[in-house]
Amino acid sequence: MKRKQQLLTLPGVLVLAIFAILPLLIMFVYSFQSDSGAAGVTLENYARFFTKSLYLKLTYRTITSSIAVTAISLAISYPLAYFMAKKFKGMKNILMILVIIPFFTNQLVRVYSWLIFLQDGGVLNKFLQTIGIVSGDLELLFTQKAVVIGLVHAFFPYMVVTIYLALERVDNSLLEASRSLGAGPFTTFRNIVLPLSMPGVVTGIMIVFVPCLGTFVEPRILGGVRGTVIGTVIEDQFFEIFGWNFGAAIAFVLFALVVLSMAGLSHAGRRFENE
Amino acid sequence: MRVKKWLGVLVALTMLLSLAACGGSGGDDGIATLTIVNWKDYGTDDPDFIKVFEEENNCKIVHVYMSSEEELLTKLKTAKDGEIDVVLPNCTILPAAIENGLLLELDTGKIPNFGLMYERFKTQEECFKDGKMYSIPWVWGSTAIAYNTNDFPEAPASVGVLFDPAYTGKIAIRDDYNDAVMLAAIALGQDPNNPDDLEAVKAKLIEQKPLNKTYWKTGDEFSKLFAGNQVSVALMWSGQAAFMKQEGEPIGFVIPKDGAIGWVDTWGIARGSANQELAYKFLDTMISENFQYDWASAGGPAPVNSAAGDRIDPEYAAASGMDEISLNRLYFMQYRTDDVKKTWNELWTEVKAE
Repeated sequence: MKRKQQLLTLPGVLVLAIFAILPLLIMFVYSFQSDSGAAGVTLENYARFFTKSLYLKLTYRTITSSIAVTAISLAISYPLAYFMAKKFKGMKNILMILVIIPFFTNQLVRVYSWLIFLQDGGVLNKFLQTIGIVSGDLELLFTQKAVVIGLVHAFFPYMVVTIYLALERVDNSLLEASRSLGAGPFTTFRNIVLPLSMPGVVTGIMIVFVPCLGTFVEPRILGGVRGTVIGTVIEDQFFEIFGWNFGAAIAFVLFALVVLSMAGLSHAGRRFENE
Repeated sequence: MRVKKWLGVLVALTMLLSLAACGGSGGDDGIATLTIVNWKDYGTDDPDFIKVFEEENNCKIVHVYMSSEEELLTKLKTAKDGEIDVVLPNCTILPAAIENGLLLELDTGKIPNFGLMYERFKTQEECFKDGKMYSIPWVWGSTAIAYNTNDFPEAPASVGVLFDPAYTGKIAIRDDYNDAVMLAAIALGQDPNNPDDLEAVKAKLIEQKPLNKTYWKTGDEFSKLFAGNQVSVALMWSGQAAFMKQEGEPIGFVIPKDGAIGWVDTWGIARGSANQELAYKFLDTMISENFQYDWASAGGPAPVNSAAGDRIDPEYAAASGMDEISLNRLYFMQYRTDDVKKTWNELWTEVKAE
């Protein structure tokens, strides 16, 4: 019986192996190959990445903006998920649909919408002029801020969903018990709700931060001349100059970074739970 | 047991599919098949043209589409003999195709319309190796200056307009290492195909950077920026500018006196082609006066056939940068080795990361 059950997982494992792990391995091999076509293993692609300040600078810029996107997403998502799970349960479905809409929108359509919305003389600019907050041009589009706005919009729904699921599981009788024992709302939140929702927060952070590191569409279109990030460099390597080897090497440096940050996060998450 | 049954079905399906594939490549009724590798919607897949050519030559045209120049090379390298007949390499990739022995040496005597070609295309450097010709130019175009006619009553006279602080925030050059390096080289008076002072090129581009509203990448992106009045002067493709003008946008296009970037697409015959006579006939038709005139005047790229060029409305030709004055101002993009591409790309990344 047990063997049969294990057999059932076989198709899934096979699909993963063929379509996810094998391509990764192929790219990994590429990253150790020389552009000159010489046979054998070389570290030249990785050496190029770590010796040119250019690529380190762009990686640093990518990490800081990804952290900003993740932090802002968290600030928006937590209260929203909290109210959906614990306060306005009646509006839960409507809110969820509103949150999930960007999910269903084509990436390019979404980015172009922001382009039109944020541009000088665009909808937002006109509105802020009318209510007297801004006098001239907004000068928001084609800056790092515009990229962060676009990315938060693209990724925060993931975070709302993971935090919501964690909060939903928090037993309401615990909250009642806390209240009946004389704890104020803040104490209850800090000592019960927050620790119990931590797994959702950690997953949410990962699910937003990781894809942020590799994006290139939002930075390129919304960031303008200031939009270059490590993701656009990888894109250029693959599509513009067929520098697959170097492109693969950068991708694996990012990959290592992702693994490291995930390990760090889950470690931090566990420590928080144990406290 | 059940597994065996499914295997049987699978085998049967595979056989059916391979049969269907055979039917596709080996001409039915004994008529010859001409297999063309080209971009989608790029002149040769026009149904009217296909119909006429098939009837006149008693053949069948099959298209294989490519999505990049590199893919064309790969297709040529991996195709079996007789699988591909004619291909459309750009001049930037052509020397690689010739070097790898993928194209047939051409006998221009079999291409009567060759004589009508503009002189400069008859001797297009990239088409030759050791004095032998392997490919013939077909159409050309340019990447030059597009401007909003409301903001510029007269066409800008020099690429310097893209480096002029007076237009800060109104300029957009393309996010493309090749265009960027060539543009800066033109502005600096260096050879755009072999700039000798790349440091100066980089400095020039860094100096130009804050003047841009943004760097655009796709034609679609540019249309939106232009239509939304975000950009009024830009580095732009001739074809797209002509299209936007037809759509009613207040857009002008000019190849200024100090020059701009040009490109040439060429036709070659694959080494393994089994229908060489037919392939020659196709090449000849491609550069014939009628085909070239019809396509160019319907919004297509510029003709290499001088008789077709003469027939085009001079005003339209000048406005879309296809007249002879414009032609002679262009620096045509040349073949670049991987090392040059890598160096230029890194230079451009440095500019963007500034």
